[in-house]
Amino acid sequence: MTWTSRVASLWRNLVHKQASERELDEEVRAYAAILEDEHAARGLSPEEARRQALIEMGGMEQVKDQVREVKMGALMETVGQDVRYGLRTLARAPGFTVAAVLALALGIGATTAIFSVVDAVLLRPLPYDHPDRLAVVLTRGTGPVAPGNLLDWRREASSFERMGAAEAWGTNLGGDGRPEHVDGVRVTSDIFPLLGVRPQLGRTFTPEDDRPGQSQVVVLGHRLWQRRFGADASVVGRSITLDGVPHVVVGVMPRGFEFPPFWATGAEMWAPLPLSERAANRSGQSLRAFARLAPGASLDRARAEMATITARLDQEYPGTNRNVVVRTLDDIVVGDVRTALLILLGAVAFVLLIACANVAHMLLARASARHKEVALRAALGASRARVIRQLLTESVVLAGIGGAAGVALAAAALRALIAISPGNLPRLETAGLDGRVLAVTLLVSLVTGITFGLVPALQASRTDLTHSLREGERGSTVGAGRHRLRRLLMASELALALVLLVGAGLMVRTFVALRRFDPGFDPRRVVTAVVSLRGSRSEAPVRRLAFYREALDRVRALPGVTSVSAINHLPLAGDVWGFPFQVEGQPPSAPGESPRAAFRVVMPGYFRTMGLPLVHGRDFTDDDRLGAPGAVIVNEWLAQRVWPGADPIGKRMTLDDLDKNPEWLTVVGVARNAARGKWAATPDEEMYLPLLQSRLYLQREGGPFSFLTLVARTGTDQPAALGPSLRTAVWSVDGNVAVSEVQTMEEVVAGATASPRFYLLLLGSFAAAALVLAALGIYGVMSYAVAQRRNEIGIRMALGARPADVMRLVMNEAAGVVALGAAVGLIVAMGLARFMGGLLYGVGATDPVTFALVAALLTLVALLATYVPARRAVSVDPLQALRAE
Amino acid sequence: MAAPSNLLQGTLDLLILKTLTLGEKHGVAIARRIEQVTRGTFVVKPGSLFPALHRMEEAGWLSSSWGESDNNRRARYYQLTAAGRRQLKTETEEWGRISLAIAAALRG
Repeated sequence: MTWTSRVASLWRNLVHKQASERELDEEVRAYAAILEDEHAARGLSPEEARRQALIEMGGMEQVKDQVREVKMGALMETVGQDVRYGLRTLARAPGFTVAAVLALALGIGATTAIFSVVDAVLLRPLPYDHPDRLAVVLTRGTGPVAPGNLLDWRREASSFERMGAAEAWGTNLGGDGRPEHVDGVRVTSDIFPLLGVRPQLGRTFTPEDDRPGQSQVVVLGHRLWQRRFGADASVVGRSITLDGVPHVVVGVMPRGFEFPPFWATGAEMWAPLPLSERAANRSGQSLRAFARLAPGASLDRARAEMATITARLDQEYPGTNRNVVVRTLDDIVVGDVRTALLILLGAVAFVLLIACANVAHMLLARASARHKEVALRAALGASRARVIRQLLTESVVLAGIGGAAGVALAAAALRALIAISPGNLPRLETAGLDGRVLAVTLLVSLVTGITFGLVPALQASRTDLTHSLREGERGSTVGAGRHRLRRLLMASELALALVLLVGAGLMVRTFVALRRFDPGFDPRRVVTAVVSLRGSRSEAPVRRLAFYREALDRVRALPGVTSVSAINHLPLAGDVWGFPFQVEGQPPSAPGESPRAAFRVVMPGYFRTMGLPLVHGRDFTDDDRLGAPGAVIVNEWLAQRVWPGADPIGKRMTLDDLDKNPEWLTVVGVARNAARGKWAATPDEEMYLPLLQSRLYLQREGGPFSFLTLVARTGTDQPAALGPSLRTAVWSVDGNVAVSEVQTMEEVVAGATASPRFYLLLLGSFAAAALVLAALGIYGVMSYAVAQRRNEIGIRMALGARPADVMRLVMNEAAGVVALGAAVGLIVAMGLARFMGGLLYGVGATDPVTFALVAALLTLVALLATYVPARRAVSVDPLQALRAE
Repeated sequence: MAAPSNLLQGTLDLLILKTLTLGEKHGVAIARRIEQVTRGTFVVKPGSLFPALHRMEEAGWLSSSWGESDNNRRARYYQLTAAGRRQLKTETEEWGRISLAIAAALRG
């Protein structure tokens, strides 16, 4: 009673307050004026008469206050009565109540669950100070930024208050036992003030820390601090070992702090990022640039200013400042998922609408049954408004119960949702049924109750006693208006369900196409693990190669392993580094215009292990080592682009500048195109270099070059079972290397297709729910319609109509409604499907096959839902039907 | 058995209903009529009359509309509804029972 009464009085206050206040004021004044007249008539002077009248009134405001109290009390009481009455009525019709509550719980629960996700991911501001003033600067449209460029911009751009940079970083955190690989980010000291966040303990970085060669310091994330340091505050100032080097912890960030919010998510540690030594580097794009707009500066101004600055810089350093883009941080964080989530929210709203239509059906059917009751109340002096209010209260109570059940459903659904989510929904883990979400649920339930209750209530309250009597007498057909309304509801349900089915159908087609997509390699029976030598003695250049060989040998010796190799960045899971290259016999490219290819570095046997066929030439061997002639394997795409129509084997290319005595690499093989960073993306140029020949990977100290991903092909269908022994085998060579991300290649593939699977699962369940609800709705309406026409059918059959004629009569009536609903649904779906474009693969948004199949399926289900009641109609014995009157 | 305050409230309701059986009246006229018929035992102040009228209207016993007073003043006129008449009947019977009971109790 508490919330309904509050809402009802709010409604009255909002809508009627002014009018009723004015009335009350007038009434009290009129009363005083009449008193005054009385006193004046007794011969008092006008002033004295007025004084006496006011005394007698006893204060106009107090009188009005008392009236207001009385009115509020009366309102609370009637609402309370209505609620109690509604509950009693519902309890007397348990079948109806359970069906309605289930439909509503489904609709409201799904809406609540999806809304809580949308709220957490899209609606809540990022956990930074004034996040709407934060921007990200990208080069080449979407890419990271070179240090030199960042320093140039920071110096010149005045529309930014601050500009900072971050660079992905990973480190092996030493301690007791095995080192743990921890993801982190290196940041310039202005990042934290730029975000407007403070540490929970200690400090963040100072400009001092930006200087190269300063003492090594780190700031810990809250989760890492709790997990590894037992939330011990004395950790600040203490020294910890990262990659074998002591670092001082200077601060701990508060719970809930996340940075960066996109790319390299999951960072738990931050370290300084000295840039001054890299100021001349304007091509190595490894930084993410963040900026806060200066007070008063708009994003447009910043964009215009950056366009001017970069145009000038690109003349000064050709090819370095092309296509520089400024976007808001929020846009980058949720840009990709916004459409998908809004589609889901729209879909779930459709389910809710269908549920509403269903309950409205049931209420309409009940309203006819309750005609007598309503007529009686009207005869006893209840006004139409009073009857409507009572019926609406009943609907709202029903929606309230549905909403409560829906919240329970949403809690379960949300847990499942988070469990199956693809991991590209930022901040999803913060989604929950908090006050905000529950407030929205409450509002949704209320609006739902009014939505499905209003029309039936209006209909029911239109009591024309003689009319309803006559109808009751004849008992043949229901009022035409109500019937039309019911058909309208049925058609809208069908249309809504069809739109959802089209969405789900398109996702099914997408998913099928994705499953058919050939990644180029064979992901079955392959297990992978990232091995980081950071901080171990095997990282030393003299030991590195020996370690890799030994580790591969020991893994190869494991039972069940048939083939082993290693690669720098695993396709689909790892980074993709684009490297510029030059081709022998072709003129050197202009600066910034060189062709680029993904830079893969592999051990011999990689292609066999991954099941990635070489279409020409040979694999690397142990002889492709330092000192031997440079070798390279390219993919088919690169071969076709660079040497169209020619045999690429024996051709030469280089990663160096052509004018500086380049080191030539001879193409020894051509590999099939393999899926790269993204599943089912168009292929791109890729080159594979032998690790045994890579000075970077064998000799470069520090940096990202002491990582490799082991890949092992096994003879078992359960390659994951090999994970533990693979770790042990690697550790038996050196116990101080970190082994992380042990996963099968099939898991990697599943991760890459997780988003479409997620959307398919959700849209599919919504569509299924919609179909079931719509079918039940149609079944209900038709059963009711047939029951209403029992004696009409009886008369027809008594007069000689054959069952087939009667069947046709009933089915024809339904077919019209089904056709209307399907037609409207198809048109709406056509309009809405194009918003799904970004989620689809291998199928057009207006795919005629999907539309046709879905329309056919829906029509079939609708006609089936009509057939059963129609069948029942003709099985009626005409005599009995007539006698029942 | 009702508490004294409710008894008084119920009494005022009963008197208002009774007063209005003669036809519609505005607030002052209702108050004067009650003073008159109870020979001044009940002096109905606006502070109790107004809440009572509005409560009874909310309950559906009275309806009201604007009209002109004898002195050409605009005034709110109240009249009995069908529900109001039934209520008067019930309350009159109830009052009869109670007053008899109390009289009997005081005699005894």
